[in-house]
Amino acid sequence: MIAPLIALILQAAQPAAPAEAPLPDPALEMRAQGLMRELRCTVCENEPVSQSTADMAVDARKRIREEIAKGASDTQVREFFVSRFGQYVSFRPPLEGWTLLLWGFPFALLAGAGIFIGMRAFGGRKRDLAPLPDDRGDGAAG
Amino acid sequence: MIAELGHLLAFLALAAAIGQSALGLTTGGEAPRRLAFACGIFSVLAMLTLIISFVQLDFSVALVAENSHTLKPLIYRIAGAWGNHEGSMLLWCMVMAGYGAAASVFMRAGPLRDKALGVQGLLTTGFFAYLLFASSPFTRLIDPPFDGGGMNPLLQDPAVALHPPALYLGYVGMSFVFSLAASGLINGQIDQEWARRTRPWALFAWSSLTVGIALGAIWAYYELGWGGWWFWDPVENASFMPWLVSAALIHSLIVTEKRGGMASWTVFLSVLTFILALLGTFLVRSGVMTSVHAFATDPTRGLVLLFGLSIAGGAALALFAWRAPTLKAGPEFDPVSREGALVLNNLFLAVAAALVLVGTVTPMILQWLGESGIISREAASISIGEPYFQLTLAPMIAMLLLFMPFAQAAPWRKAELGPLMKWLMPAAAVAVVAAIVALAMGGWGIWLGFGVLVGVWVVVGVGMDVVRRVGPGGFGRVLRLPLTVWGMAIAHIGMGLFVIGATVETATRTEQTFPLRPGEVAEMAGWTFQFQNLEEVEGPNYSALRANILVTHDGRTEVIQPETRTFQVARTSTTEVAIRKTLGGDVYVALGDQVREDPSAWRIRIAYHPLIDWVFGGAGLIAVGGFLSLVARVRRRSAAPAPETEATVESPPAPASVPA
Repeated sequence: MIAPLIALILQAAQPAAPAEAPLPDPALEMRAQGLMRELRCTVCENEPVSQSTADMAVDARKRIREEIAKGASDTQVREFFVSRFGQYVSFRPPLEGWTLLLWGFPFALLAGAGIFIGMRAFGGRKRDLAPLPDDRGDGAAG
Repeated sequence: MIAELGHLLAFLALAAAIGQSALGLTTGGEAPRRLAFACGIFSVLAMLTLIISFVQLDFSVALVAENSHTLKPLIYRIAGAWGNHEGSMLLWCMVMAGYGAAASVFMRAGPLRDKALGVQGLLTTGFFAYLLFASSPFTRLIDPPFDGGGMNPLLQDPAVALHPPALYLGYVGMSFVFSLAASGLINGQIDQEWARRTRPWALFAWSSLTVGIALGAIWAYYELGWGGWWFWDPVENASFMPWLVSAALIHSLIVTEKRGGMASWTVFLSVLTFILALLGTFLVRSGVMTSVHAFATDPTRGLVLLFGLSIAGGAALALFAWRAPTLKAGPEFDPVSREGALVLNNLFLAVAAALVLVGTVTPMILQWLGESGIISREAASISIGEPYFQLTLAPMIAMLLLFMPFAQAAPWRKAELGPLMKWLMPAAAVAVVAAIVALAMGGWGIWLGFGVLVGVWVVVGVGMDVVRRVGPGGFGRVLRLPLTVWGMAIAHIGMGLFVIGATVETATRTEQTFPLRPGEVAEMAGWTFQFQNLEEVEGPNYSALRANILVTHDGRTEVIQPETRTFQVARTSTTEVAIRKTLGGDVYVALGDQVREDPSAWRIRIAYHPLIDWVFGGAGLIAVGGFLSLVARVRRRSAAPAPETEATVESPPAPASVPA
């Protein structure tokens, strides 16, 4: 059964209300959308404010655009939100104190393991190896 | 009666699994093989009885009463059987027993099969015991309700109906790879023959896991209404970690099979993959986090799972530590060689898995520390999400792809880097041009540039390698190219396309929410959207609000109809987005909430997702490549049991020896 909920209103097309209008400068808008993706909607389950239609997210998007338009840097916008909602609001862990370890360990692990493999497998040996003929034509997948 | 029959069948499966493990680990031979087969049959029948209860809407079964409803369409009644904790545990047990049954059919007799069936029987016993004594799906209600409680409406979707079976074929498949590793360790026989017989199972499990994860991503994209396909949610990461480690495994198995090298590392990866699969199950099922997947929020179940996980993982690592020193090192190879490239592949994948693991569990551990008062609440409050994973994972994936064409073209043992690089120059040139074009079109982001660069590099480089293997001599040779080459090339090209799609989509997608009153128009990137009206539509078990939106682009107009569906029984609503496919990507429109201050206006979310099909298509090709490699192996084995004597296509020389 199809029942019209809202009658079709025949009226001239009007421009949309400006509440969620993008910033006029595309570069600024891109920065704003980037921030929207990394700030958490605090009333939602594991969603950034960019993805939610909750009022908190709408207000947050508005605030981000305002701050960016006023000339705030990305860091200042993040700090603004963190000071209000705590570190929990930011999906980007800060780069200070113990979180330096968090950010650094993948690269340290890569370097450490790389050096270990290099030393252990290839260190201090001189070999005279010849390529193995690719006898089957099916290479690595064989 | 049917539920009691299912209960009985599950107990029979448990008994068969106990016998299978006892006999497999001791006498071996025909008896454990037959028991493994019987265990598989009993489990399938037990699952079938549960499905019948769901289809018949037998509300005297507690699980059906909680999770089904008379208004639910048939296919979702069937899928409802595994869309809950108890049913999904039965599915898990069935797949686990099914792998044992498959091994009893496909594997040759011998100590490898005996001990593998024994270990698999032990695992199956554990999971069936957990199922029957901690979460039985067959419990009856004394006072059955008139109608059922429904199912989470988000899960009423074809992709998500198939998502758990595919995912479990992957997850649980890792249990059989683990059993094969344990069997090899017990027998003291981790060699080329072991790798040759283990690899098909690893390939099948990994390819299924790929399909399962991709279905989940597709579902998120279409069903959640945000247009995202990956959220770095702990649940997603729980499946991504075993995927990364098993991707490393199927590559290190190649080195073990072809050259006898990396044996202990390969076995370690087999063990680790299974432990990560168990850890994923624990994270999802223990209620340590909230999500659509967390059916069970009962902490005692979590404790039982954690206990089982510790025993299985601990025993496996102990077995490994005991036997690993006896494993021989493989033959020597030069750092610049196919072996060397595959070592790098494993390095990048292992670091990637480690960083996903740390990024996933750190917030949980901190939260727990904060709640127990060990650290302050401020210190415990941290989120680790997309920015962290993107910034740390992207370099690993970029390096992985950078070495991929080299790995395909380099000969075993030793390669000459100079001629290889010279030979791959065209691929590099095309990649650089493509990256510059992408940057000029999509804005000057560093990730966009890198993603397109390595993606195009892989696609062209792999294509060149296929051409090299075909060699001169016309189209006939293309058809005679071994299936294994196609498997490898298709999976690698899929990886390249996926990376291009994922970086372009992430870097250049645009999204915007417009509050629109009927008649109003929104404009985005050359498209206009006129919100015409809203109508109410009745579905089988929901009522929907459907927006009619007139879309105009390039002088063509059409009406698209995004919906929000409200499911009366579950009192929740879902979003049905309207998607308009174009060559370059998707125009994605979702109907949001009513605006608080202005009840005649509705929030309409409009987004453009460039190259989104490359993301899903690339993932699909990765899985297709994996399955092709598997088919090639099975076919070759039945055609020629002794690998040395088989007829092969004569190969053109490797590029290292091609005069450039």
